[in-house]
Amino acid sequence: MKVGRRKFLRAGSAALVGLALKTDRPITGSFVNDSLQMGHLLRDRAAFPPARRIEKFPVVIVGGGIAGLSAAWRLHKRGFTDFVVLEMNPQAGGNARWGENEITAYPWAAHYVPVPGPKAAYVRELFEDLGVLKNGQWEERNLCFAPQERLFLYGRWQDGLEPAIGLTQKDRDQFQHLEELFAKFRASGEFTIPLELGRSSQYEDLDRLSFADWLQQQGCDSRLVNWYMNYACRDDYGALAKDTSAWAGVHYFCSRETEEKGPLTWPEGNGWITRRLLERVGENVRISQMVHRIAETKRGASVFAGDTEFQSEFVIFAAPTFLAPYLVEGFPRLRDFTYSSWLTANLTLERLPDSRGAEPTWDTVFLDSPTLGYVDATHQSLRTHIERTVWTFYWALADGTPAQNRQLLLDKDWNYWKEAILHDLERVHSDVRQCVSRIDVMRMGHAMIRPAVGSVFSAERRRLTSRHTRLLFANSDLSSISIFEEAQYHGVLAAQTVLDNLHGHR
Amino acid sequence: MGILLFISVLLVAACGLIYELVAGTLASYLVGDSVFQFSTIIGTYLFAMGIGSALSRYLNRGLVYRFVWIELLLGVIGGFSSALLMMAFAFTQGFELILYALVMVMGVLVGLEIPLLMRIVRDRYEFRDVIAHVLTFDYLGALGASLLFPILLVPRLGLVRSAMLFGLVNAGVALWTTYLFRAELSGTRTLRVACLVVLCALGVGMADARRITATAEDNIYADDIILARDTRYQHVVLTRFKDDLRLFLNSHLQFSSRDEYRYHEALIHPGLAAVPAPRRVLVLGGGDGLAVREILKYPQIESITLVDLDPEMTKLFSTHPMLTKLNDQALLSPRVHTTNADAFPWVDSSTESFDFIVIDFPDPTNYSLGKLYTTAFYRAAARHLSAQGLMVVQSTSPMFARDSFWCIAETLKQAGLETHPYHVYVPSFGEWGFVLASTREYTPPVSLPSGLRFINVEGLSALFQFPPDMAPLAMPPNQLNSQVLVRMYENDWKDVSH
Ligand SMILES: Cc1cc2nc3c(=O)[nH]c(=O)nc-3n(C[C@H](O)[C@H](O)[C@H](O)COP(=O)(O)OP(=O)(O)OC[C@H]3O[C@@H](n4cnc5c(N)ncnc54)[C@H](O)[C@@H]3O)c2cc1C
Repeated sequence: MKVGRRKFLRAGSAALVGLALKTDRPITGSFVNDSLQMGHLLRDRAAFPPARRIEKFPVVIVGGGIAGLSAAWRLHKRGFTDFVVLEMNPQAGGNARWGENEITAYPWAAHYVPVPGPKAAYVRELFEDLGVLKNGQWEERNLCFAPQERLFLYGRWQDGLEPAIGLTQKDRDQFQHLEELFAKFRASGEFTIPLELGRSSQYEDLDRLSFADWLQQQGCDSRLVNWYMNYACRDDYGALAKDTSAWAGVHYFCSRETEEKGPLTWPEGNGWITRRLLERVGENVRISQMVHRIAETKRGASVFAGDTEFQSEFVIFAAPTFLAPYLVEGFPRLRDFTYSSWLTANLTLERLPDSRGAEPTWDTVFLDSPTLGYVDATHQSLRTHIERTVWTFYWALADGTPAQNRQLLLDKDWNYWKEAILHDLERVHSDVRQCVSRIDVMRMGHAMIRPAVGSVFSAERRRLTSRHTRLLFANSDLSSISIFEEAQYHGVLAAQTVLDNLHGHR
Repeated sequence: MGILLFISVLLVAACGLIYELVAGTLASYLVGDSVFQFSTIIGTYLFAMGIGSALSRYLNRGLVYRFVWIELLLGVIGGFSSALLMMAFAFTQGFELILYALVMVMGVLVGLEIPLLMRIVRDRYEFRDVIAHVLTFDYLGALGASLLFPILLVPRLGLVRSAMLFGLVNAGVALWTTYLFRAELSGTRTLRVACLVVLCALGVGMADARRITATAEDNIYADDIILARDTRYQHVVLTRFKDDLRLFLNSHLQFSSRDEYRYHEALIHPGLAAVPAPRRVLVLGGGDGLAVREILKYPQIESITLVDLDPEMTKLFSTHPMLTKLNDQALLSPRVHTTNADAFPWVDSSTESFDFIVIDFPDPTNYSLGKLYTTAFYRAAARHLSAQGLMVVQSTSPMFARDSFWCIAETLKQAGLETHPYHVYVPSFGEWGFVLASTREYTPPVSLPSGLRFINVEGLSALFQFPPDMAPLAMPPNQLNSQVLVRMYENDWKDVSH
């Protein structure tokens, strides 16, 4: 009998506060920027059209990611412009690509660069060029605004990502113990960025066991310590600690100064750097040009893309190195190059969901989630009032083997990932389905190099960094860890080698 | 008798809804978080109504008699609920407890009403007609109340008197019932006396609502709320007590009309009067037009650009008669150009230069507002200063938020500016501070516009003296990536009991 009135009260009051009883909003979206198909053409050694045109460039750069664009930046800066960058995708940038909608620009993958230390000289030079570093001062607007990171655990938020709530004495002791160990490693000066400047044989044995085993040797069995160490490996390497070289695990914690501010970040993440690089060298970049063959010639090499043969003296190979055996004639098989699979998604939010009272941060992570949480693209906005935003959701498919995960990426449709992502977010933001209007998903089968056990000191890797040939490798994967500084370092170094040798000629 | 009876149903339904709305609105105003407040209050209320309905079966005899008493009780409790809740918020720690207890009691009583009424009229009509009529009028009453509440009651009467008005309605229904059912009621005399007592009490309450709320005056919203609005950007509340008009944004007091002249004269004149031949002025924040009112006292000024986020604020202060009286219609002056924009991006994209820049934002209570107190922001703002220009920044209280005040001063310094901090006493705020910043020497003015009530030339130099309890402290600058100020501010005010 009362039902009628009760309903009325509820509906009336709901209208008053403008909430409740709303159905989920329809969510659109799709897979985007898929290069899976193109990759498979190479893998299956499909037949490509024969060359019909010939173009000549002293230098050809294969791959327009950060490594390739950095090589271009260096050449350009030294006044050498007779080169071309061939990029397979319709947009340059590789893992530093970005997107944009009417709300904001947002990253597709790489979203920050830690404030570079003194050894990363090329990175510092670049940032001086871009106005990010001025008279020894980092531009405030490019440093990540506060509050930066939050972790959701036990039903509430904490600042920062290292678990700090609900720790037992044992947890605390183990964090402390690791802290001290890492301080020693850091002081050794072996764990540098770029990697190549350190990495003497002193700690080579760390590369012979997994980070998980090493942690166990140190007596670390705390659940929270292991969660955090695994989080670090998933975040930077797309792998679990058990699949990561202990040397790389240690490097994550010991390669940077502890009191650094930063990181440097932009709404479109490292896409901002890509944009600035393209402003400088964009004229030399050709997009939608997939290189399908590279043949050494007497005076250098011929690079085939589409129906064009690019005849060159030097080739800078800045595409992922695992492609070399498929592209370069007579190139031996590679053993030490394993890649992690990733999935990223950009979610358009029409309003900010319930966050249990917390102010938004740049990076949000949930304890015990298989995903890495999300980064808010409007965090670096200077506006004080933000209604709509874009979240970039990160998911390193670290469980299982990379091959299994690549299959998973092929098998599952967009709807599957959409549901998985929303399900993950709903644990914390209960009304997220009412806020999201669009989810675009990017699948990356060979997203980033994995520093597997034995790969950091791999002889194969070392051979590829040799700079005595006309085919110079430059992708970040030469370092065995995939970060901006390594990509830039190898790109610049390859360009420098080319410049030195070209000059030698003339 | 039929239609009269059903009108009672309508009125009773309206009262029930009004009390619920009053409780929800009041809790939202006082505690904030309207979604939470409304949800939990509606939930509790409905639950209590359920209990009431269930209990109705235990009332067997003397239904009309009991109904009258329920109406009276509801009239008293519901009628005074709003006043009671304000008092509870002002004087006790247990606001929530009292709120939900009250909501429960009212809910139970409201839950009893309709079942009782149905049973009372059951013998007079066919069962299906009873249901149809009672429910129809029940719904109509609820509709009327839900429309009246936001459109007429809250803006015209305020929450305290709205509740009392409906208390009167409940008591009126009680009285009326004693006449409608006089045939079957015994002891009508006592009942009617009781009705009259309740009616009188509520009547006095209505007439004296001001006095009742005045008792809770120390509390922020104890005054009459004459306007309460959730704009896209903020929660705007305007209250009045006698001749004192107060504006609250997101529960933070922005001004009290009794002493705002102190604040705004101090904000403008020490700086602006020191600029030789000022022509162009920029005001960031300050959509209330009160700073602009002071600036308009300089006839040589040609243009004032006002940048405020919230179009509803600037519209309100250009149209509401009480408010335009307060700001002398400043926002309607042809010299004033109002832009509704977010300040930081606006400052970044504009290329204009100004002889005087007023930065008058709400205090840095969260990280969003904190961005407007950073070296990055001050650098961007200072780029708009003409060669002879000066900038003034409202900088919270050097007394209650001493760390924050000196942090803001340090931030301006780190942005490459010379700083000249000063402070004044504003009764409704306490000691309040400002920082003048410039790229050149500053000397206090030797003449001021006429007609000022607070600032005078003789008193100027004293403003720049800080007694020991507000003396400078070494503080880090506030930057986008650190936002030390927000945390500092929170701690500062935590230490102040208020
Ligand atoms: C999800 C994710 C998040 C990351 N986040 C960060 C971060 O926050 N900070 C950070 O420092 N690093 C991050 N990284 C690491 C990132 O990989 C590096 O920072 C860097 O962008 C790698 O650049 P690269 O040029 O070495 O490789 P890539 O970016 O892989 O560039 C290779 C390029 O070669 C092109 N290419 C491939 N094959 C061909 C072909 N046959 N012909 C022509 N072109 C070809 C590709 O399309 C691509 O543009 C992230 C990586 C991923 C996957």
